[in-house]
Amino acid sequence: MNTPAVSEHRLLRAGEHEAPDPTENSLREAFALLRPRLRPPFSLRTSTPSDYHQLVLAIVYGALTAPPRTARTHLVHLHAVVTDGYDLFTRTVLRLSLESYPRLLQPARAQLLWVISELIGADAVGVDRLVVSLLRWVRIGDFSQPNLWLAEGLLRVLCVRWDWLLEEPSVLTSALFLYLRLLADHYRLASDQKVEALKELEIDFCVRVVRQHFDFCMGMGRDLVRLLQDVAFIPEFRDVWKDLLFEPRVFGVPGYSDIWQLYRTRTPVQYFLLGITPEMETRMRFLFTHVKLGNQRRYQEWFARKFLCRPECETVVVDLVRFICCAHHPPNEILRSNIIPRWAVIGWLLKSCRKNYFAANAKLALFYDWLFFDDKVDSIMNIEPAILLMLHSVPEYVGFTQELMEFLFLLIDHYDVDRKDLIAQGVLKSFDMVVRKGVVQSLDLLSTCSLISPLLKERFNVFIHGSKPEAVRDLYLSSDVKTLGGPKKSASCEKTGFSHVKGLVDHLRATMTQAGSNNLQTLGRLLVTFAKLDKQAIDKELGGNSSTI
Amino acid sequence: MMILLKDIVPSAANSVNTKFILLEKGNIRASKKCVVVNGVNKLQETKECMTLVADESASVHFLLWNTECEAFEPGDIVQLTNGIFSYHRNKLVLRSGRKGKAEKVGEFTMLFVEKPNMSEVQWQANESDAKKLKESVTSTELQKPPS
Repeated sequence: MNTPAVSEHRLLRAGEHEAPDPTENSLREAFALLRPRLRPPFSLRTSTPSDYHQLVLAIVYGALTAPPRTARTHLVHLHAVVTDGYDLFTRTVLRLSLESYPRLLQPARAQLLWVISELIGADAVGVDRLVVSLLRWVRIGDFSQPNLWLAEGLLRVLCVRWDWLLEEPSVLTSALFLYLRLLADHYRLASDQKVEALKELEIDFCVRVVRQHFDFCMGMGRDLVRLLQDVAFIPEFRDVWKDLLFEPRVFGVPGYSDIWQLYRTRTPVQYFLLGITPEMETRMRFLFTHVKLGNQRRYQEWFARKFLCRPECETVVVDLVRFICCAHHPPNEILRSNIIPRWAVIGWLLKSCRKNYFAANAKLALFYDWLFFDDKVDSIMNIEPAILLMLHSVPEYVGFTQELMEFLFLLIDHYDVDRKDLIAQGVLKSFDMVVRKGVVQSLDLLSTCSLISPLLKERFNVFIHGSKPEAVRDLYLSSDVKTLGGPKKSASCEKTGFSHVKGLVDHLRATMTQAGSNNLQTLGRLLVTFAKLDKQAIDKELGGNSSTI
Repeated sequence: MMILLKDIVPSAANSVNTKFILLEKGNIRASKKCVVVNGVNKLQETKECMTLVADESASVHFLLWNTECEAFEPGDIVQLTNGIFSYHRNKLVLRSGRKGKAEKVGEFTMLFVEKPNMSEVQWQANESDAKKLKESVTSTELQKPPS
């Protein structure tokens, strides 16, 4: 019973071979049925609940598909008849957004933003959830026009509705989370003019929120630091970052005196949902709930084709890793089953990064909770994937294990040099916790495996046991070099760094037989070490200072 | 009535109602055919695309036709109504045919197995009770013989 005029009002994209959407159908049917009543004068008679229900559905459809002037009339009608604080209306729009945003036609999307702004103005029940759902639909790593349009349009609505936003700290901080995240990419990766206006808006918004409402921001926890660090190079943020590190009192929050307070606050799960769209979330959760290890190949291909197809899309791997580690904790039944474990999917994601920059960020995302781990505050499920990935990569992908170990040590030494000891404590606690809680039987593999470079093993042992460097070096010289097929070293070689290099060369010989693209990296490390040795040797001769390479 | 892919049998009747997920898509092959329309010779262009689809019980080759070729991608979950499972160019394929309809109902969230492949099953002659004895060429799984 659709009149031709009704079918002209389209809500969702409908290809010839796409099944009709049940939600859209119920909305369109209500609209067709009640169309005569949707024109003024409006009856203010109280209706039965089911009549009200149908009327609200019809108004939803009208507000999203009619031309703007008519849509305004529909909302005036809604304001007149509403009896539940707009609850049903908002819930219906929310459902549409969560289920079907990708299929919404562009005119309907524009209307949606306008409707949201109106709902905010009317202080509608549940509009906060609606706003957050749209924040989630802004895709990270997507620089297409529709996606940038949504990012900008949504931000403009929030800026217009600033007063309301200040009364909704959860929405305010969610928006901050998203736009800080987007800024890093928009500044680094998007060079178009089209992003200029958006960048300006984002910078103004984020700086304003951090400076003026830091008390709200504190609850965001350590990932706020991670995000701010990524935009610290932007001129407007340099001072913010400096103050965060050195002048915390400038933020005017009593009780906040050091960035460590942010580090040790675990970021609430809700923020990790902002980095991935509802579509990505559905697929990820399906993978971790239903797909057996060994059967994941096709699902991974489809996921990559849809979300990681262009080079710049790799930037979202960071957010996927944070989501997997922090927002999806499988129950024990799944952990005990043969469903694909999280470490396997994270391994695939990390390896699919072709650019080092994205891979490094993804590794930071994997280890971030390790750096500040405190069992009173943190969940072991956040740190479990990393250790399992390191151990399960031996022996087939041992180069990857080494990469991860090296990166972890890099983080301990350089992530926050002033707080290096505290970070080292966090990592030690993480290692201790994963053994104590039975996530792994022991860490022996990382300290004794012959396939792992002796330097790395030494570093690991020193870190874990705090033993004297010489004692550990003896250990490696006597047993591991023999394993690698090199001659036994005499005591005189211990003093020079060349024995270390010899060990690396022997290791390189051994690893050449292994498949993997890590040979070049090993060679790279080798060359750097050579260069360092030369410099040290030269400096020692000349009595000068050694400079970092 | 919905059936699982493992239960489809070759037939001239277009009565297959089933749901599956598209695993792989081959190349789209366009061909022109000369047809007579109202006494006039016309050149009709048709497009075909062979795909591999599967559900939790089996896989099968599904032949896309004309507009279907562009409409479906790997990962799509498809509902088939009044489809037909028969020989087409010497291959046993499932397709919507002239009276059937294939519609996309979702993406990604469906489990599947790739063996047995119903298009590669060897079909033997009818038994008197109309049940067919199947010998899978590619399956390494044991199959129960019909009772």
